[in-house]
Amino acid sequence: MVPLMVQLGLDARWNVIKGNDEFFAVTKKFHNALHGREEAITRDEYALFLEVNRKNLDEMKLHGDIMFIHDPQPVALVEKRGELGGKWAWRCHIDVSNPQAEVWEFLRKFVIKYDGAAFSAPSFAQTIPIRQFMVSPSIDPLSDKNRELPQETIDSVLAKYNIPADKPIITQVSRFDRLKDPVGVIQAFDLVKKSIDCQLVMAGGTATDDPESEVVLKEVRERAEANPDIHILLIPPGSDIEINALQRASTVILQKSIKEGFGLTVSEALWKAKPVVASAVGGITLQVKNKFTGLLSHGIEGTAYDLKQLLSNPEYAKWLGENGREHVRQNFLITRHIKEYLLMFLALYHPEETIYL
Amino acid sequence: MSLIDAIVQRWQVVVVPAAVFVAFLLFALWLRRLAYRAMERWAKQTQWEGHSILVAATRLPSLLASLIIAVLLALEVSILADGGKALAARVSWSLFALMVALAALGLARGLLRLYLERFNASPRVVSLSSNIATVTAIVVSLLTILELWGVPTGPVALLIGIGALALLFAFRDAMSSLFAWFHLSASGKIKVGDYIKVESGEEGYVTEFGWRATELEGLDGSTVIIPNHKLTQSRISNYGRPLKQAAEPFRFYSRLHLKELTNLKARTLRDLVATLKTAPDAVVYYHTHNFLEEHHYLTPEPANDFAVWVTDALGNEALGERLASLDTFEFSTLALLRDRVVDIIEEYLARNPDSREALPGREFHFIRSVSIVLPLQYVAHDLREFVEVLRNVSVGSLFFHVFESRLRIGKGFNDFSVWIEESLGEPELAAAIAQLDPYNYSLEGLRSSLIQLIEKHVK
Repeated sequence: MVPLMVQLGLDARWNVIKGNDEFFAVTKKFHNALHGREEAITRDEYALFLEVNRKNLDEMKLHGDIMFIHDPQPVALVEKRGELGGKWAWRCHIDVSNPQAEVWEFLRKFVIKYDGAAFSAPSFAQTIPIRQFMVSPSIDPLSDKNRELPQETIDSVLAKYNIPADKPIITQVSRFDRLKDPVGVIQAFDLVKKSIDCQLVMAGGTATDDPESEVVLKEVRERAEANPDIHILLIPPGSDIEINALQRASTVILQKSIKEGFGLTVSEALWKAKPVVASAVGGITLQVKNKFTGLLSHGIEGTAYDLKQLLSNPEYAKWLGENGREHVRQNFLITRHIKEYLLMFLALYHPEETIYL
Repeated sequence: MSLIDAIVQRWQVVVVPAAVFVAFLLFALWLRRLAYRAMERWAKQTQWEGHSILVAATRLPSLLASLIIAVLLALEVSILADGGKALAARVSWSLFALMVALAALGLARGLLRLYLERFNASPRVVSLSSNIATVTAIVVSLLTILELWGVPTGPVALLIGIGALALLFAFRDAMSSLFAWFHLSASGKIKVGDYIKVESGEEGYVTEFGWRATELEGLDGSTVIIPNHKLTQSRISNYGRPLKQAAEPFRFYSRLHLKELTNLKARTLRDLVATLKTAPDAVVYYHTHNFLEEHHYLTPEPANDFAVWVTDALGNEALGERLASLDTFEFSTLALLRDRVVDIIEEYLARNPDSREALPGREFHFIRSVSIVLPLQYVAHDLREFVEVLRNVSVGSLFFHVFESRLRIGKGFNDFSVWIEESLGEPELAAAIAQLDPYNYSLEGLRSSLIQLIEKHVK
């Protein structure tokens, strides 16, 4: 995003804080705690967090009219606000609506020193006495994950994973994690399969920091073993073109999460004009307006019902897919994202509801 | 015998040719006079402006031609030897051919000047046409004279023909532009000052209508030059002369918006209505216009956020439908609109003690819209300029001038209607636009409807 801002004429710079393994172990704990998981964080660990932030403040040559700090890790850089001046904004990329109280209280002291904060969805925010803006994340249409692909590439990926192209393909792209309900996906597929001959592709990696991930993958493989129409693909990180090709080869794309952050994979699917069936959780409801840009479901039976509807009615599926692509084009591309950041910077200088430039 | 004696003895040798000369000359002059009179009567009847040119061009050549023929006839009846007569005949016919060429040239130049000036042709075009006529007259008369003197003219004519063809080929575009110009000028379909639009997209006011090309000045001040032959091959819309100028030009603005979170949320209908009662206008505006704005490509437009949430998150389709059918266009202020939404929900709750709760994560989050209004470079001084800007301006600008100015800024009317009535003095068109319910259209559909209304009015 910084190169695009520079092209727009802004003197935008991106600085990265430095930290040792211990610091990142602490921030990982913070991350989990903000997601609501119970984490025991010692006084020394809080001290280490502050110490690394302070050290970075001393080493970094920060200057600018607007300081835009991303994520909790460098949140304490705001301590230098008095000295550096300018406007300060904090970007929160995660859902902090239900955090572990102690960690949030610790971070909140810093957050409220900013002029404003940006959250990805209204449900991700916290009650804080500073202005909060909603800035949804976005996809880059020119990246490997989203750009147009030649048919040969798509065919070669299908061939690589032995997926025949003669049957409709239902795909869910997500890591093997209980929160993505992979077993539920197979159950819904089994219900669809009773009346429609189709195949299921589940593509993703395992979460390295989650030991349960391997267990889930094993369980999913066992469930899928008996059915040759279920393809479980463990895709290594960085295989964006392969994910892109699998999405483009799909007839319907599924995102049956039980809990979700923003769930940008939905926008990635919609950008490819694919009809989507997704759970009504997290940021998905912002991307899928039920029956306009996709179908929202709640349970296994509902998901199966929606999948059958789309597989049996290709015209309806096509209409939803095209609406979905247009919805992403208007609201979830990187260009909209930059526009909102710039507007937010303006709003930091103007408290009024209508700003005349 | 002296010469006089010889003449006296053979008086008829002189008298007969002289009599023939005088008789023919008188006859020719009488005929010429008759012809001029007849022509004058005809010119009066038809009010043909070329009459005086015709008279001026032929008066002297016709007199000289009469004299030449009279001399030729006189020599024919004289006692001159055959060789002498043949020579005299060639000389006379050559002079006659020159007279005809002189008359034709005078006539052609006079008529060209008359008609070209009438079509506002530039002096360059007039002089070029005169030169072409002169060269043609000289070439034709020279060929005739050479023919009279027995010089073979075939090869010369062929050479000239080939040369002319080569020239035509080399300047075929220029020639077809010239013919196109004659055609368009004669039909009077395009004049300097007209506003035209060519099928291929070029448009603007005609500033010069030359024999080769037509020059247009676009609304942005750019100049477009289109060869005339392209014009005749394209479909052209001619909107005629400039329209009424506005007392004050219309300046287009656009509007971008930012979503500001309020931390207020509702899980039940009672929560929703309680919060809505005290929510600021910018929140009401957001939730009654956000869906329209984010999904403006969909037709028919889905409803407000309240209706969507009540239907999707609470599963209350009956109330959802009631809220969706709310006619936003009926309300002139956001406070009135908010009161109506509150009334609908409270009426429903009075009859149905609905205690449905949205699932966690599907609560209604109240969001405030922050508008950032920025001036655009577009300015319209008349309806034509206005419609051309309207064709290209962003949907954000439409949104600002039609929806936002009406309700949020509290003008009660859209900006377009206000300008058309107050600055252009076109109350009927202003009213037609004000009556258009923008909530019934997608933003692109609204744009087309506005353009159609204005274009119909302009024609």
